[in-house]
Amino acid sequence: MGLLDARMAAPATAPVREQEADTSELVEEDPPWDVLVWDDPVNLMSYVVYVFRKVFGYPEPIARKLMLEVHNKGRALVASEPREQAEMYVHQLHQHGLQATMQRSS
Amino acid sequence: MSGAFRRHGDRIRAELEPFEVQLLRQLRDSVRASVEGQDPDDPAIARLFPATVSGDDEADDELRRLIRDDLVQSKLEGLDAIVELLEDATPNRGRLRLELEPEDAMLVLGVLNDLRLALGARIGIEDIDRDALRDGDPRTRTVAIMDHLGWLQEQLLAVVDPASVRHYDEGHGEGG
Repeated sequence: MGLLDARMAAPATAPVREQEADTSELVEEDPPWDVLVWDDPVNLMSYVVYVFRKVFGYPEPIARKLMLEVHNKGRALVASEPREQAEMYVHQLHQHGLQATMQRSS
Repeated sequence: MSGAFRRHGDRIRAELEPFEVQLLRQLRDSVRASVEGQDPDDPAIARLFPATVSGDDEADDELRRLIRDDLVQSKLEGLDAIVELLEDATPNRGRLRLELEPEDAMLVLGVLNDLRLALGARIGIEDIDRDALRDGDPRTRTVAIMDHLGWLQEQLLAVVDPASVRHYDEGHGEGG
């Protein structure tokens, strides 16, 4: 479970912006993108929790809450990030078989 | 037939029934053909390579193009790796034993999921009322296969990441 642990050490929202003053303006000009996961009749609830833990490093209660939101409401906002990071998340979620899309944050 | 997976030192030991190995090989071959074919009318392809951006077709096309090769590659790698793992299986008291490294186990979880997704897409699972399925309906068999693979997947998950299954001991729910 080394991989999971390593991912879990990563903070959910990167504090990078505060530290790298040079890029902060650029980051602010690019509005964040929302990453959404949509309900699916095949994926197991437990597998979705596992994927949220693995991809985002979320602790189990948060991963489970998001999974239940997908299950009960049809979709959940799982991350809000600059475009490239959002694209990476969509890519990783698709690798794991989840139906994930991104859209400009409203 | 219980306890298909258990921890064995740093590894996970799988004990599969011969029919399960046979089933995995067959399904793997058929899903690999789909992934290789990339036929846009193939429902399995639509499901395994879903939309990337909502509400912006141009951005969706762009991101799909950007990630598709890598996504195809990673799906194929998983489907090929499972064949190698199955080839290393050794007979043990009527079952087939596999020793999985932690990375193998995560890969198998993903492949089991892809196989189930592809099967579900092919029978249009979204529109199926499971309670109304009859014995003679070919979709009934497919749903049973999906459930069986899901049962294996859940058991493997319980060993790989016990926290993820902690609250679902009473049954294996679907959704998400």
